[in-house]
Amino acid sequence: MRIVFLSDLKPLLSAIAAQMDLYIPKNAGTHYVYDRYDPSADVPVEVNHIRVCTPSKEFLFPLRELAAVFPEPLEPKEIEPFAVFGLKDCDLRSIEILDKVFAEKEFEDPFYVKRREKMFIISSDCSDPADSCFCNVLNGRPFAQSGFDLNVSKVKGGFVVEAGSLKGEELLKTNSELFSKAGDDVLAERQAQRAETQKQLEQNNADLKFDAPVNEIVENGQDSDIFDQEATTCVECQACTRVCPTCHCFYLYDTKKDDYFSKMKMWDSCMRIAYAEVAGGANPRKILGDRLRHRFMHKFSYFLERYGVDMCVGCGRCVDAEAGDVDIRAVLKKLNEEFEREGKNKAKVGK
Amino acid sequence: MNQNLYQPINGEIIDIIDESPTIKSFVVVPEEEFRFATGQFVELTMPGEGEAPFTPSSSPAITDKMEISIMKAGRITALLHECEKGQKVGIRGPYGNGYPVDDFAGKEVYIIGGGVGLAPIRSLFLSLVERIKDFKSVVCRYGAKTPADFIYKNTLFDSWQKIEGVNIKLTVDQADGQWKDNVGVVTTICAKDDVDVKNAVVVICGPPIMMKFATMKMLEFGFKDSQIYLSMEKNMSCGIGKCGHCMLGKYYVCKDGPVFTYDQIKKYPNIWD
Repeated sequence: MRIVFLSDLKPLLSAIAAQMDLYIPKNAGTHYVYDRYDPSADVPVEVNHIRVCTPSKEFLFPLRELAAVFPEPLEPKEIEPFAVFGLKDCDLRSIEILDKVFAEKEFEDPFYVKRREKMFIISSDCSDPADSCFCNVLNGRPFAQSGFDLNVSKVKGGFVVEAGSLKGEELLKTNSELFSKAGDDVLAERQAQRAETQKQLEQNNADLKFDAPVNEIVENGQDSDIFDQEATTCVECQACTRVCPTCHCFYLYDTKKDDYFSKMKMWDSCMRIAYAEVAGGANPRKILGDRLRHRFMHKFSYFLERYGVDMCVGCGRCVDAEAGDVDIRAVLKKLNEEFEREGKNKAKVGK
Repeated sequence: MNQNLYQPINGEIIDIIDESPTIKSFVVVPEEEFRFATGQFVELTMPGEGEAPFTPSSSPAITDKMEISIMKAGRITALLHECEKGQKVGIRGPYGNGYPVDDFAGKEVYIIGGGVGLAPIRSLFLSLVERIKDFKSVVCRYGAKTPADFIYKNTLFDSWQKIEGVNIKLTVDQADGQWKDNVGVVTTICAKDDVDVKNAVVVICGPPIMMKFATMKMLEFGFKDSQIYLSMEKNMSCGIGKCGHCMLGKYYVCKDGPVFTYDQIKKYPNIWD
């Protein structure tokens, strides 16, 4: 697909914003948040160096939404096309994961599917990974691998813009006056930067290594008391699941207005104590350690078995967000140590 | 718009039957055609209040209405117990897999039930007796807390017992003055020679603790894990394998169940809780 050079980001974003709502990262000091792009505002547009703090799922699977109205069904509002700038490889991979759940044939979530069709994705390269970023150990990269319409990489004097879909290709074509040819020098610079950032990630996570595929490590430790020990530092704030771009638990609740009833869909968290409780009082995961165990098993084993992919992209948002002290990397590290120990023991028994 | 799986169809409760001090059966008429397979469940909405999963207790052959037996156990069931004939409800579903009745053909079907667990079993039982000749026999063991807690009393004590090919035994945890039959948990009326273990399937539905001990008993009798069918009660919410509440190991009980064979789920933690 087409790769071009762009000297100024604003005319491109304004051209997109002329067609649809566009959300861009806003620097909030310690982190980024999404904000609606206003072409008339005189604020500099920047390429966020890491993922935005809030999870990308919000654009497709909002915190709360209307799922049904009855007795008379309401034709849902038409979703207008919208664009998001600044999504990272971890975000794109998380959308791929959510697609598997919400766009599953015969069980489609119509609200998700509609938004997904209307979403235009402009991803960008990471330039300075956060301490909590660990995508590299879970097949992630600090630059988009697939799943984008356009990708933006900052280089000296401008940006390299790459189309990743027909929609993106089309947009480059209709705005061709904004672009010039991407020379070998800027492409080489992009490649060098990507390698540099990848190296930085690898250095940051040098001590996080797995001796086997991560699902095997987690499955091996599923009965381990590591989860119970780690859970003692959890304060059940549920932030890990809220901020996670792949966590997609929700609950349905009903409300009433004067002449109609509605069913609402709202994010939920498997770390909540009553999450799996039934009316009779039975609860398979009333113990916090069991809930943490289930969360890991879901992410690294059950989801993989069902959909062929892990449900963790290594974005590290949960590490940044939680109020307690459960660090997903530390838990995986301990599970790996146990795997290594037990593997050696097993080998001894084998002899 | 793609079909909205969260949209309930409208229905009305046209009759309410008091079954026991804690269980009522509701006869629900959906406004649109609604078919289910025995063992599948529906999400029943109390408008404006919430919804809860129930397995209909009527035969799937009856398509203009369905019966749902409900024990007062939580908020929604308490509201349902307070409502009267004419109450409007919402219905979503049917969800899940149901009982593989065709696979039971030529075999003895050994049904073990407890409490309100007889509700899904009634639907299965009615489906079986409609084609009773396809099965070697239907053997039913059912326990209730006290004689007053039996549900479907009219048929359970009478017409069902007279069906050729059907064998029913009942027990209570606690007898009253009238009760002359067995006293004890349901496993006390299960015997190894109730059925030919080699050519039978077991269907168990009831409170978690009863299902656990009934399963252990069946394993003692020599049944294989794959011969034991369990109706799992979990917190099914969306019904379409997304919201996560009903997860049992890798399974979504709502989509992959609610009927599982024991070998499918035995490796997962806390299946009986």
